[in-house]
Amino acid sequence: MARRSLLKETLPLTVLQFAVAILVLFPFFWMLSVSLKPATEPFAIPARLWPDHPTLENYILAFRPEFRRYFLNSIIVSGATVLITVPLALLAAYSLTRYQFRALSIFLAAVILAQFFPAGAMIIPIYKMVKAADLLDTYASLIIAYITVTLPVAIWMLRGFLARVPRTIEEAAAIDGARPLRAFFDIVVPLARPGIVATTVFVLIVTWQEFLFALSFTSTKEMRTLPVGMNDYIGQYGIRYGELMASSVMVSLPVIAIFFFLQRHFVDGLTAGAVKG
Amino acid sequence: MANRIRARASDRWMAYGFMLPAAVLVGCLMYWPMIDTFRESLYATSFISPAPTFVGLDTYGKVFGDETFWQVVRNSVVWTVGVVTLQNVGGLLIALLLNQRLPGQGLLRSLVLLPWVLPGVVAAILWRFMYDPQLGLINSVLMRAGFIERGIGWLADPSTAMAACIFAAFWKGFPFSTVVFLAALQNVDQEQVEAAKIDGAGAVRRLFDVVLPAILPVATTNVVLTSILTFNYFDMIYVLTRGGPLNATAIFPTRIYDVGFGEFRFGEAAAYGSLSVLVLVFFVGLLLLGQRGRAREA
Repeated sequence: MARRSLLKETLPLTVLQFAVAILVLFPFFWMLSVSLKPATEPFAIPARLWPDHPTLENYILAFRPEFRRYFLNSIIVSGATVLITVPLALLAAYSLTRYQFRALSIFLAAVILAQFFPAGAMIIPIYKMVKAADLLDTYASLIIAYITVTLPVAIWMLRGFLARVPRTIEEAAAIDGARPLRAFFDIVVPLARPGIVATTVFVLIVTWQEFLFALSFTSTKEMRTLPVGMNDYIGQYGIRYGELMASSVMVSLPVIAIFFFLQRHFVDGLTAGAVKG
Repeated sequence: MANRIRARASDRWMAYGFMLPAAVLVGCLMYWPMIDTFRESLYATSFISPAPTFVGLDTYGKVFGDETFWQVVRNSVVWTVGVVTLQNVGGLLIALLLNQRLPGQGLLRSLVLLPWVLPGVVAAILWRFMYDPQLGLINSVLMRAGFIERGIGWLADPSTAMAACIFAAFWKGFPFSTVVFLAALQNVDQEQVEAAKIDGAGAVRRLFDVVLPAILPVATTNVVLTSILTFNYFDMIYVLTRGGPLNATAIFPTRIYDVGFGEFRFGEAAAYGSLSVLVLVFFVGLLLLGQRGRAREA
């Protein structure tokens, strides 16, 4: 009897769970299904949910030299951005959590405000700067723009993590005679590792998909990143959706994989600021 | 706070030294461009005459006289209000569901973030495909169910294009709200919920009297944050419709891109940029005022 009433209570909720799962997953399932559909299977309406003879031919076609080049460009630009943004943000966040000088609180307010600057409102001056420095259509132009976009959020996220690192350990080290700089590298950096990982994932996700700056600052195929290359495909491929979906899967897989491996850290970092603040 | 490391001269150097690189970058690459946008808007350039000439506020007069500008303002408001409402109401409802003790919740909680992780351009291409009049899944399902006889060009029809963009952006963005709401729900004081239960409050009463007031601060942060992000969101609309048809989905970021990099009228693009900041500040100000009013009533 008790079991039946429990079932009666949870059944509608389980149905809702399924509805949410379908809302979230169905577009992904469809992307995969179409990417595996051979060109010979008609695309007619009503559409088939899953191809009769799944094949990887779309993937082989889509993995053309220009796509490989876009991939390489995206890896270089995202990697360089992470390598510069995260250490700089870590230093700044450390300074903000450990010291209380007026200049620091002004800087913190400036960083919080800067997170909300519209890229559209900054892009013309940044474009002109990049052009004046003769950096248009280079990796450097994109890396500079991406540091700009990610640095304030990275500082904000890392600050949340560093605030949770107990200060007593550092103080103990200071009493033992360790210089502050030593204490930072030997104690704070290892303890803040979950925060560093979460911030790195966040910066990677943001830069991997950045579109507006990449679209405006690159003009040759050699320098295009994946999002811009994908956007170019829409016109070129016409309605060759099989290849388009195969490229989409390949573009998404790296970030989805990283996300799944590191998601616990990541969700912590994402919610720490918002919930506490 | 009492045992804060005492400020010594070396500490001061370290504090400023650690901050300096980030401060220089944020200053040069964010604050300077923000100011420079306004200066830029006082000059006119075009594809034919790329040398900038000073025109003062003329560009603003021209922009205000242009019907397209007002359409961009209206579209931006509809787009932002639409996406933010769907994303936060839907995000909260889904968070409430995921907060129940049910089998399979752990898996669902991690899967739900997937759309948010998916690169924006990929998400937009995926939805463009789903909306396709001939090959799209949505038309296919509607036709099979007998609701329509011929495929609808969701993105090609000015009357449906904006709604289609809003729904796609909702799908891409709601996981963020859900995750933040879920964290807030898990912080709600369970003793208060139990107390209300003992007092005989039903599930709905408990939700409105205990749970929602407890997460109100997080909800406010969420709404403000998603409003700003949505207002500035370029990828989805640009890939779905390029702001068309007939500017039916043109919002500030897509318009700035078109004017600046499509037509090389940098002065006008910068004017749109400056105005977008004003509109955004006005919008967020209204939100915060409304929130303060509601908090006072409560």
